[in-house]
Amino acid sequence: MTTSLSLYAPRDSGLDRLHPLTKLVFAVFGVVVGVTLPGVWPNYLFFLLVLLPLAAWGRIVPEFLRAVFKIALPFAISLFVIQGLFWTNGTPIFQLGSLSLKAEGLAFAAKTTGRILVVMGSITLFVLSTRPDHLMVALTQRGIPKTLTYVLVSAIQLVPRFQSKAASILDAQRARGLETEGGFFQRVRALLPVSIPLVLGSIVDVEERTIALEARGFSRDGPKTSYRVLIDTPAQRIVRALMLLASVALIVFTVVRWWAV
Amino acid sequence: MIHVENLTYTYPTGSGGPALRNISFDVPEGQFVALVGPNGAGKSTLCYALSGFVPHFYNGDISGSVMVAGHDIVKTELGDLAGEIGLIFSNPFNQITGACYTVRDEVAFGLENLGVPRAEMIPRVEEAIDLAGLDGMEDRSPYALSGGQQQRLAIASVIVMRPRVLVVDEPTSQLDPVGSREVFELLDSLSRSGGTTVVLVEQKLEWVAVHADRVIAMHEGQIIADGEPRAVLASAEVERLGVGSTRYTQAARLARRRGLVTGDGVLPVTLDQAVEYFES
Amino acid sequence: MDRIRKDFTTITWVMIPVAIAINMALGFIVFSLKIPFLYLDSIGTILVGLLCGPIAGLLTGALSNFAWGLLGNPGYVPYFPVGALIGLLAGLFGQWGWYKQWWLWIFGGGLITALAGAVLSAPINAYLQGGVTGSGTDVLVAAFRAGGASILQASFFQGLITESVDKVVNYAVVWAIVKALPVRFLARFPRYINVRPE
Repeated sequence: MTTSLSLYAPRDSGLDRLHPLTKLVFAVFGVVVGVTLPGVWPNYLFFLLVLLPLAAWGRIVPEFLRAVFKIALPFAISLFVIQGLFWTNGTPIFQLGSLSLKAEGLAFAAKTTGRILVVMGSITLFVLSTRPDHLMVALTQRGIPKTLTYVLVSAIQLVPRFQSKAASILDAQRARGLETEGGFFQRVRALLPVSIPLVLGSIVDVEERTIALEARGFSRDGPKTSYRVLIDTPAQRIVRALMLLASVALIVFTVVRWWAV
Repeated sequence: MIHVENLTYTYPTGSGGPALRNISFDVPEGQFVALVGPNGAGKSTLCYALSGFVPHFYNGDISGSVMVAGHDIVKTELGDLAGEIGLIFSNPFNQITGACYTVRDEVAFGLENLGVPRAEMIPRVEEAIDLAGLDGMEDRSPYALSGGQQQRLAIASVIVMRPRVLVVDEPTSQLDPVGSREVFELLDSLSRSGGTTVVLVEQKLEWVAVHADRVIAMHEGQIIADGEPRAVLASAEVERLGVGSTRYTQAARLARRRGLVTGDGVLPVTLDQAVEYFES
Repeated sequence: MDRIRKDFTTITWVMIPVAIAINMALGFIVFSLKIPFLYLDSIGTILVGLLCGPIAGLLTGALSNFAWGLLGNPGYVPYFPVGALIGLLAGLFGQWGWYKQWWLWIFGGGLITALAGAVLSAPINAYLQGGVTGSGTDVLVAAFRAGGASILQASFFQGLITESVDKVVNYAVVWAIVKALPVRFLARFPRYINVRPE
């Protein structure tokens, strides 16, 4: 129950102990790197020489690789097959019956796969190593309204409960003879008796949950304080500033290059 | 501490007329008052009126005056009532904020909203966790607790704000016997420690008879009896209107009807009183 | 501005995470039922737009994608503008009274959302993921590419087809859910007027 709340994998590691904002800024930096680095290979190098060592530092290499490949692999397969075979006016390099693999399509697929690896890898690294409530405390202390951070933490805690509720409603309706197999329309018709009880039940709870929050001063005006303290260091502040600068530089560089073309 | 005068209230979608009719009563500081009555008598609505959710959350028509801990409820915003008036209700799961990953953070949530400095927060959180018997579970997820533990967490999260009035609406109706006993023990120790004024809605009359200072019985939005537990709970009129009675009262009434006991003294409502009643 | 502030009552703040959880739970049901061309992952977003206003809908849609990222599917994160747009549109359609005409709500609302969603997601998809989705709908992408469409065009047409089916069903399910909710609960929401029975 507590472990399925999010992808976060608790570890006693240096990465785990970093300030959440440092990891968040790194994720943003990684996404910027992924979408701006030119050519095919730089992204693969960034993945191997930056993301993977960071995952090792955080002792989350198996979780990291599993999560990234689960996302990247289907894309990679689709990319190589579709863009490889159906690239418009490409140079054929390999004949498969009436179809042929095109050099440009394969290069495009390789480049895009590298991009997906870096973008998804950066986000995954952040998610795996950051406890969501610590992130929220960090954001609240930086002036993000507490109501907004409440939404994310609360959603994360509700999702596993809702999913198990959905699964049990589905089982109950099947036991009552609801047809959940068959054609498209049959299955679409099966949606209502499953989704309506789930949604109605949860909306009815909203009223009481609102009262409970109000009774705890949720909508009270005036300054709020924080129970948790997060450790931040001057070094991390400098690293964050550098990563933000580098991100801006990469974006400017890319836009200028486009302009020139 | 509580002063209610001529309170009449109708829900906006209320087709059956007012939920509360012409309610008046006063509660002095530190008193432990139990509200009893059949379903639909208006007990929960009265709880919401004492904590400001009627009228501020439910809207509707309100007349008369409600003063709690020095606040005019009708004129004060909900945010300013939080911390002054604590509210606890039946469903333990719905009282968990969802904003916190650990029991400790959950208890601190209200204090953060009140802007209590951290140095003051730490001992208060520890104290509340201790009082609710949740020590050893500080770092668990609130969702990983049992129903009874969740309800005690809800109580801890409210009393940590040091409310001057605590309104508790059927806190054990959704708990198993073990969970109920734990919650009752906690409420009892809270009321005995004094200071906090408690208004409790409860169906378990045997418990009410022993622990409450005073019982108010309601029926169809009106107060039908108000006084010492024995005076209210042993009344035949009150029982007739569906409030029910304790098993000691039932036994004594049956004994009297069968002629096993003579005299027409007040019927007992607790075990001690029953022993005394049958011995005399 | 004042109207937006009035939309964000505490009940709206409590409803948003519930809506995000509904998005994911129903997405999970559809996944279990293995219905092709259907995701049904915007029910909560559309509900908030309709009951709490366009800006609350926008926020729900955007945060839903981030929550999805935190819960194990980072692939959703880059598409947060699409989620935001879905919530915003549902709020506007509700404000324009479309809910009161079921056909306008389900087909007008569903199809316009599908079109807008496809327009917004195609460039993200084309640039970030080379125009494929890594799922069964890539059959469509392959067909469009074989027919000579560019990556952006193939991504757009694939999106338009799958989104049209999906969003019409989303809007129909929301319509049925709101019809089934007791007025007593609906009356608590800031945009109750959008759905008030005549």
